[in-house]
Amino acid sequence: MTPAAPLHVDPGLQPERTVLSWGRTMLLFALVGAVFLRWMPYFGLWTLALTLCCAVVAGCIYLTQKVRYSRQSRGIVEGRVEADVRAVLATTFATFCLGGLGILAVLS
Amino acid sequence: MTSAQNPKADPSQNPPRGRLSARLLAQGQEPDPRFTLANERTFLAWIRTALAFLAGGVAVEAFAADVFADPYRTVISVLTISVGLMISVGAAVRWLHIERSMRLGRPLPIPLIIPLLSFACGMAMTVVIVLVVLD
Repeated sequence: MTPAAPLHVDPGLQPERTVLSWGRTMLLFALVGAVFLRWMPYFGLWTLALTLCCAVVAGCIYLTQKVRYSRQSRGIVEGRVEADVRAVLATTFATFCLGGLGILAVLS
Repeated sequence: MTSAQNPKADPSQNPPRGRLSARLLAQGQEPDPRFTLANERTFLAWIRTALAFLAGGVAVEAFAADVFADPYRTVISVLTISVGLMISVGAAVRWLHIERSMRLGRPLPIPLIIPLLSFACGMAMTVVIVLVVLD
């Protein structure tokens, strides 16, 4: 059985590093969401909203990882990767919402 | 890698792009893809820093009841979360500025988010030390 052909031959492994970076971010969202559950006795139902928000973001990142790797590998081969504006803005918006919910939870 | 300009990119043959990308990154030409991906990784590192501040702020309110009196604890918690919020927005703004600079072949902008983070950390440590000493 011959191994599958690599999607790109970049010696710097840029797509792998970027996808791993997204993976670390996904894990941190999942971890923060799980830790919020630990604080349920202090903040009540607010923690559920925070955990749900984290789970949705982590899930979205997980589901887009394969497409992201393919797109970036193809971009490395073609010498042109379109900046992922949507993912950046969505992640920022989700983090901002998480912070807003956190402040509401603390002040409630 | 000395220049962000992409030698393979031909501005007269730009492929169709997404609407958001075309609107926010309208000018210039696609930079070297390695730089685009490096910029994305830097953005993600800042987002992880912001998440740490958010979780830390909520943790202060939940678990530092023995260390800080009630109003001070809430203020520290809200300030910590606010720093996380500023970092997340600053990360996106910086990502956008860097991407635009690379597309136009300009020098990269000065990272204003770093002095902001240093100032916030210094202030937070000072406040915590003062409160612990006064307690």
